[in-house]
Amino acid sequence: MMETTRDFVALADVVRRITVEVIGNDTALGSGVSWPRGHVITNAHVVRHARVAVRSVDGRQLQARLLVRDAEADLALLSLDAADLPTATVADAARVRIGSLVVAVGHPLGMRGALSAGIVHAIAPVVRGGAPWIHADVRLAPGNSGGPLADVSGAIVGVNAMIVGGLALAVPIARVIDFARSAGVAVP
Amino acid sequence: MNGLMAFSNELAAAVEHAGRATVGVNGRRRFGSTGVHWRSGLIVTADHTVEVDEDVTVTTPDGRTLAATVAGRDPGIDVAILRVDAGDLPVADIATEPARVGHIVLAVGRGPRASWGVVSAIGDGQRGRTERADLLNLDLTLYPGFSGGPLVDARGRVVGVTTSGPARHFQVAIPAATVSRVLDELGRRGRIPRAYLGVGTQSVRLSETLRQRLGTDQRAAVIVVDVQPDSPASAAGLVIGDVIVALGGARIADPGDLRAALRPEQVGETVTVSIVRGGEPRDVRLTVGERSRRA
Repeated sequence: MMETTRDFVALADVVRRITVEVIGNDTALGSGVSWPRGHVITNAHVVRHARVAVRSVDGRQLQARLLVRDAEADLALLSLDAADLPTATVADAARVRIGSLVVAVGHPLGMRGALSAGIVHAIAPVVRGGAPWIHADVRLAPGNSGGPLADVSGAIVGVNAMIVGGLALAVPIARVIDFARSAGVAVP
Repeated sequence: MNGLMAFSNELAAAVEHAGRATVGVNGRRRFGSTGVHWRSGLIVTADHTVEVDEDVTVTTPDGRTLAATVAGRDPGIDVAILRVDAGDLPVADIATEPARVGHIVLAVGRGPRASWGVVSAIGDGQRGRTERADLLNLDLTLYPGFSGGPLVDARGRVVGVTTSGPARHFQVAIPAATVSRVLDELGRRGRIPRAYLGVGTQSVRLSETLRQRLGTDQRAAVIVVDVQPDSPASAAGLVIGDVIVALGGARIADPGDLRAALRPEQVGETVTVSIVRGGEPRDVRLTVGERSRRA
């Protein structure tokens, strides 16, 4: 049991390092996932202007530029001045199972680097016939948007995007990878 | 983090295991609920989610629709049993050990979908031995449509049946042993009888003097406000104004306790009713009757 607790602490640390805060005009907009070669993945609904800033876990504020925004996928790709942030590893989408433990890190309501834990509730469309989303039994709040949903190895299984009926809805990692690839950025 | 990964895989395996015996129940207008294939051909679900007696169907995990008939209801604990032609639908793995406070549990809904949490309390810690006293209170979210589904332990064994109640603001589970007793009763009699006393009651406070007299810390009981003629209550000599303090050893603090204390298996049995009449405590022997079946 103590070992499990220690594992959770270590996991929180791993996921926090790759989570950034997205800031615009000195106000926190949401969260983001640090992606290779100085990029950040976040939600399209978090970034509505070409120039924003991100704050890394060590407190540095970096200027960021909006490269691609896909409102339908609710994903956006930012480019940073610096390329030295630790970057995310992505999970094997096939290993995401209903009941698997997952954690989310973000900045809900201004609380920096907050961790919440839960399980995968379902992998299903939000509307009949739509693309699947990861539904997670994890407590999120505004400010978590754009942040990572990770498995217990710290690998990203999705990007948190909205709260529906108390459930966290995340863009599945396969769609995030497709989006990043189409924007010309490699997968970590 | 191998320990955490193993735990995570165990939870996912538990959902998968329980999900094989978890069905969708289509017995109400707004949206379906969930059921557990408890014994071969018998699906357990939450009574409040089966609003009709006919045209009920069940959706199997592989998406087939099966016609179901209502084999019995036990509204006192919110359990309904459906009969289906189950074919090769797997039967749930029912835990033999009761759940304990602090156990990590998963609620599984049709789909399957899942939520997790812990058993936060069992009963309310002060009532007597009514079935309500065994209810598992859960610190987890029962999402819409989860009612009637299995509550499982980390190995996927069913420890209870979840229900949010008709008002949808509870997160409780009926313990597996209680559900199994209802099924035993169904097997024995071919139906689930509904116990019947024939009294109308209201809650009433017990005065300090009366509590001392009775040697109890019980603060409330029920007062008889109506006795139906030719009922078990009238045969036992209960009259309007009698205060019922306990039935069969279970404390009765409100009319709901009385309903919960009357179990199907008590039909035809004689129980002791502890009452106060004219300020004097006394025990009355009462043979529990059966409510006539709905026409």
